[in-house]
Amino acid sequence: MASKIIFSLILLSLVNFSTIKTYAETITSQEIVNKMNEVINPQTAQAKAKITIITSSGKERTFIYDSFTKNRGEKNLIRYLEPKRVKGQAMLMLNNADDIWAYFPRTKRVRKLATHAKRQKWEGSDFSYEDMGSGDAFIDEYENKLLGEEKKENYDCYKIELKRKKDSDTGYSRLIMWIIKDNFCPVVMNYYDKKDTKFLKKVLIQYEIKDIDGIPTGMKMTMYNKTDNTQTTMELLEIKYNLELDDSIFSERNLRR
Amino acid sequence: MRDKILKSLAGLHSAHPWKMLSFILVSTVLLGIMAIQIRHTMRWSDLLPAKDRRTIQFNKVLDEFVSATSIVVVVQGEEEKIKAFAEAVVPQIIQKIDPKDGKLFFKRIDYKQETDFIKEHGLMLIKADDLKNMKDIFKNPNLLPLLTNINTSLEKEYIQREESISTREKEDSAFMFLDGIENFIKVIQKHLSGDSVSRKDAHQSADKLLTGEEYMLSYDKQALILNVIPNFTMVNMHKVVTGTNTVQEIIDNLMKKFDGVQAGLTGMVPLQRDEMVYSEQSLGISTVIAFIAIYILLVLAFRMWIAPLFALLNLFFGVIWVIGITAILIGTLNMMTSMMGVILIGLGIDFSIHIISSFTENRSLGLSIEDSLQETFLNSGKGIITGALTTAVAFFTLIICRSRGMKELGIVSGSGLLAIMVVTFLCLPALLVLREKRLEKKIKTGKLKKITGTKDISLKILGKISSLLSKKYRLTIIVSLIVTGFLVFSALKITFDQNYMNMEPRGLDSVELQNVILEKFDLSIDYAMILADSVAESRELAKKIKELPSVASIENISLYFPSEEEQKKRIPHILEIKKSLLASTLNQSFNRTKIDKLLKELERLEMNVMEMQDMAYLDGQDKIDSKCSKITGDPDHPESINIIRKLIDFIHQHKTANISKLGIFQTYFSPYFKKTALLMCSEEIIQQKDLPDSILDRYSNKERTQFLVTAFPSMNIWQDLEFLDRFSDDLEKTSEKATGMPVIFRAIIDIVGRDGRNALILTVFMVFILLWLDFRSPVDALIAMVPLIAGLFWMLGIMKVIGMQITMLNVMGLPMIVGIGIDDGVHIMHRWKIEGKNAIYKIFASTGKAIFITSLTTMLAFGSLMFSIWRGFASLGAAMFIGVGACFLTTIIILSAIMGLVNKKSARKKQIK
Repeated sequence: MASKIIFSLILLSLVNFSTIKTYAETITSQEIVNKMNEVINPQTAQAKAKITIITSSGKERTFIYDSFTKNRGEKNLIRYLEPKRVKGQAMLMLNNADDIWAYFPRTKRVRKLATHAKRQKWEGSDFSYEDMGSGDAFIDEYENKLLGEEKKENYDCYKIELKRKKDSDTGYSRLIMWIIKDNFCPVVMNYYDKKDTKFLKKVLIQYEIKDIDGIPTGMKMTMYNKTDNTQTTMELLEIKYNLELDDSIFSERNLRR
Repeated sequence: MRDKILKSLAGLHSAHPWKMLSFILVSTVLLGIMAIQIRHTMRWSDLLPAKDRRTIQFNKVLDEFVSATSIVVVVQGEEEKIKAFAEAVVPQIIQKIDPKDGKLFFKRIDYKQETDFIKEHGLMLIKADDLKNMKDIFKNPNLLPLLTNINTSLEKEYIQREESISTREKEDSAFMFLDGIENFIKVIQKHLSGDSVSRKDAHQSADKLLTGEEYMLSYDKQALILNVIPNFTMVNMHKVVTGTNTVQEIIDNLMKKFDGVQAGLTGMVPLQRDEMVYSEQSLGISTVIAFIAIYILLVLAFRMWIAPLFALLNLFFGVIWVIGITAILIGTLNMMTSMMGVILIGLGIDFSIHIISSFTENRSLGLSIEDSLQETFLNSGKGIITGALTTAVAFFTLIICRSRGMKELGIVSGSGLLAIMVVTFLCLPALLVLREKRLEKKIKTGKLKKITGTKDISLKILGKISSLLSKKYRLTIIVSLIVTGFLVFSALKITFDQNYMNMEPRGLDSVELQNVILEKFDLSIDYAMILADSVAESRELAKKIKELPSVASIENISLYFPSEEEQKKRIPHILEIKKSLLASTLNQSFNRTKIDKLLKELERLEMNVMEMQDMAYLDGQDKIDSKCSKITGDPDHPESINIIRKLIDFIHQHKTANISKLGIFQTYFSPYFKKTALLMCSEEIIQQKDLPDSILDRYSNKERTQFLVTAFPSMNIWQDLEFLDRFSDDLEKTSEKATGMPVIFRAIIDIVGRDGRNALILTVFMVFILLWLDFRSPVDALIAMVPLIAGLFWMLGIMKVIGMQITMLNVMGLPMIVGIGIDDGVHIMHRWKIEGKNAIYKIFASTGKAIFITSLTTMLAFGSLMFSIWRGFASLGAAMFIGVGACFLTTIIILSAIMGLVNKKSARKKQIK
């Protein structure tokens, strides 16, 4: 589960600049959401990242890991580097994280894990897999509406509201996003309670959006949990784009490496 | 009219001092008898309006639920020792009889799980989904298949269904399961190692796997809780004190016999005892400190020792009057009014100071005793009456408050101040007259030489400073504005400390042990409670509350008494488990093949636990991680013991010898496991009548008409006000009957906060009106109020600068400081009007000294509260100490400057004319 979320975080922070072009003022909300969906789900990426969580007894714990993604998040691999305790532990997620395998170096076993934890809070952190709109979730699960244009975090943004579709079972009643006009990167996302559309549960903010090799990338993102008054921050330490990632990377055999 | 009364009173004192003293003594004795009857309540809920629904519900829980008001014995030490301590202490406590009425103090002691009930209905208490997942464990009770099935279940339950350990409830059940496994491995190891393992040990190991730990142990097994349920309620203070003392005595004696075991008391009853006993002791100490400090100050100021002693005696009588009158008017002292004794000492001494200084001055001028007293009453008496009435009116405005705390504070402090004033007019003059008559007698007999002429006892330095400040009024005003601006800026940033624990006494066992419970048992005492009128309503509420994001877990009767519908859903799974168990045959022996298979299963178990540990570490599940470390070792500490690996190695080394030993263990373990598991397979629907009293008492009242639902917050509610609001809102939206400390404290913050603000505004307004009437000029009234307003901001600003916060108790200091702080300005303004505009030196040297002494006495009285172990009292004492000091300084500095400015303008006008 942890790995699924970490990977989604990385996906969100990798914005594919090549897809960006200038839009006329008549752009529709659907077009904005489609473009945002494209930029938060790059074709391939490789990153090294750091995340700090709060444990159930209130201690801080930091992890550093390598991650690989292919086919716009359809295939993901995460391998932990630090601390020593988790070094070599790895997660493989296929079919948009519907299938998850975990490798435990201590027992040298690969186990298939559960597949129904998308909405679950990653223990110790404020992220859930669902928060990141992996795949086409933001298109399939929500109806969108352009609320206007606003300056947010010093960026000129489109303000978009996503309302949960009637037949959807997603964990939020609605989302408000501020999407940077220049590159369609969602700089701020507000998540509202499943039942109470006025109760703001979480806020995600991307910081230090840098243009790396032509791709704008949020080097740091923080999820502010308004219910528990906690926050979790993830930082990208290294990133590479447009790599040739062989399918064998995303295999059970490689998981054991 | 007033002059006539005062003259007559002076005459009475001069003619009949002994009669006056007799009258005061008799009155004091009578009021003293009333004062003894007064009750203390240190409950936060008693600060809310009496008819507040949260207070009503809270008191209902305390009155009707014996389990809610218990003595909690917290025992710490090694697992075996604390269990032995518990077994030794229980019979001693339970048989204790109150010698006063010959009745048993205590009803019951809960320190073990309801194992009998769980054994009889165990599987009916497990959710259908969980039964489905764990049914494999029960298939076969023989060691090898049992271990195989445990492995299968572990992989399915905790690895495949990752969400199973994502909530507190599920984390706890995973912890319990792992604890059972740890014990199971240890008992097998003990048996194989040759240490004698009795049938009892094997049975206990089976029980731990099936029903969990029997004792109420902490997660680390280093602490144990015993819940002593009393036969009395919190209303019976005698039993609260003697009952708690009895238990304390027993555990103190027993600790001497159990080396390394520490035990202490907490819970509602000991807290009530401690709060009452220590608040009385603490206030007693503060009162003594205040008396001594004020006495020393007065001796230094008046350069005599007997008159200040009279002043204190007079004050002592006054305080008895105040408590007696409060007993008649209200009957109880709450958390706010209990400090009134100390506060009124600070304020009431001022009356005596004025009378002593005036009387002494008149006597030294050569006036007769009667004339001196008459002059004193006519000059100072009027000022005392006006001052007392102004302050009392300021206090009485608190009657408009909604909260009982503030309302009673207004009544007690207002009437108390007037009572001390009356005592001062009736008692102190008689004492002074008697002393003077004695001195006259001595002079007549030649034993004492007559001293005449006035002694200049003015404070010249204050006069000089004020003269300088008024001359340099521009600079003084600019500097005052800068300092005030900075302190206003700081004052606006002052924060509110919503954590009531920061106001509780420091260093008390009953308070400190609450933290131990929070840390070791992860059990917050700050929960919300809702009373349901039926079991069905309780279940319905529990279901709704469980969905609230701010709630971590809930406790209610449905844990032991699920709905019939739920129970029926469980029956097919129970029957399936029963069928498997009945079909299983018990093996008597073990062979080499079975041992090899057992070793493989042990290796599989080791891997499963390690994987659980690794997942728990990634997910921040500390309890699971720590429990796994006890089984497979801590990866960060290679020297830690892996008990499964140790067992595997041992069996490998002594394979042949262990064949028969395992067979023996199996004959102890498996039949009992099967028998117990079959007992747990009862498919009979649980009825309310089946529940034991210990469970019913925990969740229901005596009549079984009310059912308690307890909701624990998902995080520390005192960490920030926003979460306290959300948690309380969530619960109050779910049910209007929600109560408990978080809900009550949030209401107190709202109501007392609003009361404090309204009272502050009204007090300022009332004081302004009174001053307008007194000075017959709104401008003069405003000038007199400038130092007060500035003083208020200085007080808050200084508090912020030195790191203090506004608390639930010191917030009441704000309206009080208006009533107290205004006196300084009033006295200076009065003197200014009498002396004229060019007498600044004289005004501040003389009246300045008076307000300096009265401010110091008030500061000393409030300051004495800073020595209180009751942190709430200390916070008020510190705030008022700063506030009174600030008002004195602003009066001296700002009024000097304003007077300088007015003098300059008057001079200019004269020049123009």
